[in-house]
Amino acid sequence: MPLITLADVSKTYRHGSLEVPALANFSLAVEAGEFTVLAGPSGSGKTTVLNLVGGLDRPSAGTVTVGTLEIGGAPAKILADYRLRRVGFIFQSYNLIPVLTAAENAEFTLMLQGVPRPQRRRRVIGLFAELGIDGLEERRPGDLSGGQQQRVAIARALAAEPDVILADEPTANLDSRTAEELLDLMRDLNLRRGVTFLFSSHDDRVIGRARRVVRLEDGRLAGDTGQRP
Amino acid sequence: MLSAFLYAWRSLWRNRRRTLITLTAIALSIMVVQAFHNLAVGVYARMIDDGVRAGSGHLAVYRGGYLESREENLSFAPGELAARIRTIAGVQRVLPRVYLPALAQSSSDSRGILLIGVDPEAERAVNPFLKKLPEDGMLRDLDGRDAVIGRKLLGDLKLAVGRKLVVTAQHRDGTLHSELLRVRGVVETGIADVDGSLLMVGRERAALLAGMPGEVHELAIILDRAENDRRVSPALAALTGSRPELAAVSWKEAMPNLANAIKLDYASQKFIFIIILMIVTIGVVNTLLMSVMERLREFGVILALGSSPMRLRRMVLLEALLLGLAAALLGSILGALFTWYLVETGIDLKDFIPETMEFGGVVFDPVLRAAWDVSWMARIALYVVGLTLLAALYPAIKAGRITPVEAMRHH
Repeated sequence: MPLITLADVSKTYRHGSLEVPALANFSLAVEAGEFTVLAGPSGSGKTTVLNLVGGLDRPSAGTVTVGTLEIGGAPAKILADYRLRRVGFIFQSYNLIPVLTAAENAEFTLMLQGVPRPQRRRRVIGLFAELGIDGLEERRPGDLSGGQQQRVAIARALAAEPDVILADEPTANLDSRTAEELLDLMRDLNLRRGVTFLFSSHDDRVIGRARRVVRLEDGRLAGDTGQRP
Repeated sequence: MLSAFLYAWRSLWRNRRRTLITLTAIALSIMVVQAFHNLAVGVYARMIDDGVRAGSGHLAVYRGGYLESREENLSFAPGELAARIRTIAGVQRVLPRVYLPALAQSSSDSRGILLIGVDPEAERAVNPFLKKLPEDGMLRDLDGRDAVIGRKLLGDLKLAVGRKLVVTAQHRDGTLHSELLRVRGVVETGIADVDGSLLMVGRERAALLAGMPGEVHELAIILDRAENDRRVSPALAALTGSRPELAAVSWKEAMPNLANAIKLDYASQKFIFIIILMIVTIGVVNTLLMSVMERLREFGVILALGSSPMRLRRMVLLEALLLGLAAALLGSILGALFTWYLVETGIDLKDFIPETMEFGGVVFDPVLRAAWDVSWMARIALYVVGLTLLAALYPAIKAGRITPVEAMRHH
């Protein structure tokens, strides 16, 4: 049984009286442990798919299921708990909290989960070492480079040990070398930890490293390579 | 180590200048409210003290109905009552008094007066105006012919110390009786009505003139501390219980003018306090709302990371709580320093108001001094913390209504 299933999903946004379709009858199944990229031009619906899978939004029609949770019908409280325990987010612009240090940012979801302080600090220190940013624990985001900030964001996403990590254009603000390093790192985490990665990207470097590429155009499925070895 | 407190505290100082301005505004308002409340407490306490010593005492015993009618027939024989009241813990003095409306005549003029019969020794120990008299200006005994006269009355009757006057009052039998008295001392209370009608004699001399020997109209009870009235009142009620014709009342009932003047003055002050705190509260709403609106994107991220809207609201409220607590602490320190100055030095209004200004029937001391009311200071500091939390409710609710997808689009 797939970890993520989108069945005949449509999503329409309203701007006043104007209706803007973002997804139309879109279906997708992602198995646990996949490293899948949603590719396509801007406005093709990639971020909408991530928002729906992440429980940040609800479909206008169709069903989105992650594990046994049906996102569309779940109460807000259940969705918040789902985001807290089962999903990790990596954003294009890192979205670290500026008043917290790098380690505190990475700890944030663990704090929300109520994990005891020593335990969460131990986990974060381990992750920082694994991600090559050890020694930067006490730096504020403003004192870190883009690549370092994105590694902290990855640490934050991994800290809660989620089933799936959703990354929205994670390399868009990074230079080529840093982007490739980060992609290798995430690919490595996928292989070693078995965490499911679902990306959105129109960056060929990302697409080239994916084991599966799902193409979207105008909110519709335009192609699916299937799982590659 | 990361905690909700740490996040709230650091968030509070993101915009250092704005937070400092708000914190200072709240702290200054606490300081003003605390110090001016303490000043009012000090001034009222002084007025009450002066008032009760020259007037009815902290507590007083009358015959039922006397207070309302001031009918001189409503006298009573205190017997052992005064001595027994003196044994109650907290009672400093018991002053038996006789009050008679009378006519005073000199060789050149006459005036309507209030003849007051007092126990000279006991009265002088308490009454601030009699304390000022020289030894040879004070009444010598209970039934002598010495009289202490108000300064204005002395002038109206064209008298001088050592000169004689005749006082005429109604006897219990309905006839008019007169006594020849001699002026021994002159008092000046600063209250024109009192200085123009006051004539004080030995208590028994006044009682004999009215045909009520051994009787009094009032037992004025002076306490060591005004706050002890709550403790002394039940004991006093128990003592007077066997004499149903008597009634024990507090100074508030015996001197309603003073009590009402204080009540009215404090009510207007409270109104100003409320306005000050309201203005500060609006400032806090503005600060916290701006702080929330500037962080829409961050709140969207926090919600995306799995915080519930309720938890986000609590984070905003926690910031307000920390702001309120910091302001309460700073404000209370400033309030205590200001109060300390007002207790030690006070505010001298001699250049602005006459030294004989009257307030609620009592001469107003132009040097205003505060008195500590620590429990009230703590209470107002807590109220301000509560108000800050109240002010944060709207921004907190607004933060909780954010949808993560829209908020994260916000720059």
